[in-house]
Amino acid sequence: MGSVKVKNLIKKYDDVVALNNVNINIEEGEFFALLGPSGCGKTTTMRCIAGFEDPSSGEILIGNNVVNNITANKRNCGMVFQSYALFPHYNVFENVAYSLTVRELYQGGPATKLKSFARLMSKRLAKPSKTIEQKVMDALSYVELDKYVERGVNELSGGQQQRVALARALVMEPSVLLMDEPLSNLDKKLRNSMRTTIRRIQQEVGITTIFVTHDQEEAMSMADRVAVMKDGEVVQIATPTELYSNPQTPFVADFVGSSNIFEGQIKESTKEGSVVNIGDVILKSNIKLDKKDVKVMIRPESIELSSNGKIKDGENVLKGKVKISTYLGAQIRYDVMVGNHEIMIDQTFEPGTPVLPPGADVKLKIDPERVLLI
Amino acid sequence: MKPELNNQKVEVKTKKASILDRLDYLSVLKWAILGFFALFLIIPLFSVFLVSFTGMPINIFGSLVNPEIMSTTVERLSNSSLEHYMKLLAGGTYFKALVNSLALALGVALLVIVMCFPIAYAFARTTMPFKKTFAALCTIPLIVPTFVSAAGFILMFGRTGWFTNIYQAFGGDGVLFNVYSMTGIVLVQVFFFFPFALWPMVAAFKASDVTLEEASQNMGAKNWITMIFVTFPLAIPGIISSALLIFTVSFSDFGTPIIMSPPDLNLIVVEAYREIAGFFNWAGAAILTVIMVLVAGFFFWLQRLVTKGRDYGTLSGKPKMQKLNDNKVVTTSLAIYTSVVVLMPLLTILTVFLQSISTTWGHGALPDGLTLAHYQRIFTSSSNNIWNSVMLAVGALILSVVIATFVSYFVVRRGAAKLDFIASIPLIVPGIALGIALIQTFNTAPLQLTGTALLLIVAYTIRRMPYMIRSTMGTMMSIKKDIEEAAVNLGASPLLAAVTIIGPLMLPGIAAGSILVFITVIKETSVTVLLAPSDLAPMSLVVFQSLLRGDFYTASAMAILIIVVVLGLQAFANRFSKNRLY
Repeated sequence: MGSVKVKNLIKKYDDVVALNNVNINIEEGEFFALLGPSGCGKTTTMRCIAGFEDPSSGEILIGNNVVNNITANKRNCGMVFQSYALFPHYNVFENVAYSLTVRELYQGGPATKLKSFARLMSKRLAKPSKTIEQKVMDALSYVELDKYVERGVNELSGGQQQRVALARALVMEPSVLLMDEPLSNLDKKLRNSMRTTIRRIQQEVGITTIFVTHDQEEAMSMADRVAVMKDGEVVQIATPTELYSNPQTPFVADFVGSSNIFEGQIKESTKEGSVVNIGDVILKSNIKLDKKDVKVMIRPESIELSSNGKIKDGENVLKGKVKISTYLGAQIRYDVMVGNHEIMIDQTFEPGTPVLPPGADVKLKIDPERVLLI
Repeated sequence: MKPELNNQKVEVKTKKASILDRLDYLSVLKWAILGFFALFLIIPLFSVFLVSFTGMPINIFGSLVNPEIMSTTVERLSNSSLEHYMKLLAGGTYFKALVNSLALALGVALLVIVMCFPIAYAFARTTMPFKKTFAALCTIPLIVPTFVSAAGFILMFGRTGWFTNIYQAFGGDGVLFNVYSMTGIVLVQVFFFFPFALWPMVAAFKASDVTLEEASQNMGAKNWITMIFVTFPLAIPGIISSALLIFTVSFSDFGTPIIMSPPDLNLIVVEAYREIAGFFNWAGAAILTVIMVLVAGFFFWLQRLVTKGRDYGTLSGKPKMQKLNDNKVVTTSLAIYTSVVVLMPLLTILTVFLQSISTTWGHGALPDGLTLAHYQRIFTSSSNNIWNSVMLAVGALILSVVIATFVSYFVVRRGAAKLDFIASIPLIVPGIALGIALIQTFNTAPLQLTGTALLLIVAYTIRRMPYMIRSTMGTMMSIKKDIEEAAVNLGASPLLAAVTIIGPLMLPGIAAGSILVFITVIKETSVTVLLAPSDLAPMSLVVFQSLLRGDFYTASAMAILIIVVVLGLQAFANRFSKNRLY
């Protein structure tokens, strides 16, 4: 078990900079997600930690030890690959036992070495040792696959293969567990149940886990902390709630959930916060900033909307006209024109209330607490 | 590493470690393979190249260990001149041999293309009946050693051949044509090399863009106009490439000319063989070797140039429905024509078979009587030759499997493009040329290997390496990289991952490839004739020597045995490649 530190990590392929000065500190036992669009460097970061890529510069520490010059096979990072990468010529048991057998091969005496090698070449040549058998069975019962030991891995469903890959990585008691988009090959229902399974196992074992994903929902629902990456750089590291309520860049705000983002100017600073101009619209915010030009971000669900006068004129109340209304089941998404600004608003759908048609006059109210300035 | 070490110390330590890391077993293996190719391919070729200038044998390895030999070598090198090349250019036997060989190769290439044209069209664009049977018959030429097909032709069209007998019975005078001539060699090569060109041509016809043809028809062109002005021109690159391939194969072929060429017909392969095996004329053999490699290399390069980027060009799109010509008259006449062509090799082999079970044959169209005595003889007195063949082939197979597997591993996984290039050099070295280069280099101490089974096995291995690598490389590419990474991630060193994961997953490809190596080694002639030690003569050498002695009965029986072995193994290999385990 151990913490993971990535210090000033740079990775270049010829002239292309894949990672530009990445710094990450992951606590022992933490479930940490690397989130970002494809090509942002999240997988490269993970592969550097696993030892499959050599960093151009920078340090990687696992449990306070620099591992830069430790080869991938000696780093003891359990990895779950996107494609699972199960060995097709082994059955479930042998797949999970691989790391343990290899360890016996390297560490055992001559007789054990021979036996382990025979075992790796064919299961018919030698029997696994008692300890290996016990550990493999434990790992398999953890992922609820103990009934499938003798199955070929190609006879398993996607979710079962995923769990074999997980058991295979866990059985070696790695200091850190790495998962590369492990849920992307599963259908939606299975993905939700695997999410819970992975989270449960991670918490029970208490293993430091790094999880690469492009799906913000996945990252937010599973991770203790999330690092959002873009173009080879870490943009923000925060807990999911903080990331959502207090994104530090427009990119994060937009990538983690959707967001209305406007260019604005701070007109004056008050005791409580600031007053900003977005064109001719004036809004109050509880945030103080030292600069003039700012980005104003408002989550669609933090705007109140009414067409029947429930909202009285006052601070942070805007008048607008519905441009498009989209019924989304639990929610209604309105695109409202306020002056020449288009604002997205998500309103919880309550049965009985009609969906406002395009052209309807509405009033919007925004809590100054929810008007974010960057 | 301990946590309390400060960063600077760690860095010093790690730099040393990284140099040691590079010296892992895999790198050692890679250097060993490179060394193998350098020792048995690059240095011999280079050595022959030097000898072609000095005119005297050069002992490269001796020069490295013995200063006396070194001084001789230096002296010989300082005396090197273009004398021998000038002689060649001035005319004379070598020049004539080169011209004859080029003419032969050109003639065979053109004839094959003309002959295959209708057949390729029939396969690709018509509903010709018996396509599958014809395709199966087309594999016969590929499994027969060329000197056996040459012998078969002699048994048919020679002065006492059964065809000649029939011809004379119908009032013909003498023979239809003299088999011991350029004509005979051309005919054998045309009928036994055509499958090399046929399948690429079929592919070229199939690949032509149907939309262009439809456009042509749309504009009112008649079918035959479309065919001549659109279909055929689009297939031209494929056809040229096939012609160049046939050219190289014919130019390098040794089996047919050595059996059939009359004393007054000089061909470069035969000339080179006689210089080395008959007269020990190092200078002559060396210069002929250099020329053979240059010519074969040039045409191989031309062929690559033509096919460059076209390999899958028009095949990569969506499969389009092609309208097949189903005109009864057309398909029937094409079927008759095709059957004549594909039955010729079959007839040749049947002739060889009949010869192998006849008491005597030559007075008429049919043998005088039937017997199994020839088989009994080869199984008793020549049984050791059978074992020699098996032993040599198994040796070459093991060596090929090991080297090819690791070469494709290095090429596919580690991007070792140079290794790929070196391993494909044998494609342009004719068997006779490789044999001469090896004999010249390993003739004297300190590395005296000429006449040993080892050198023969090495020669077989090198010659078949490009084909073996193609087979293993394909399988290697189909194994995803992350499977190997998973093994490394789970604690296995790259070598252990290669042995326990990649190796077993490649097994089907290796098995299919190694059976093909076994087959080609068993029927190999040119290298065998030059390098086989007399006490280790394999079956193919027995056939060859019997043919030269004029003992066609023993030769036929042994040839049939080779063909049976090859057919059996081929069927086995096909099963392997069809029932891929994964």
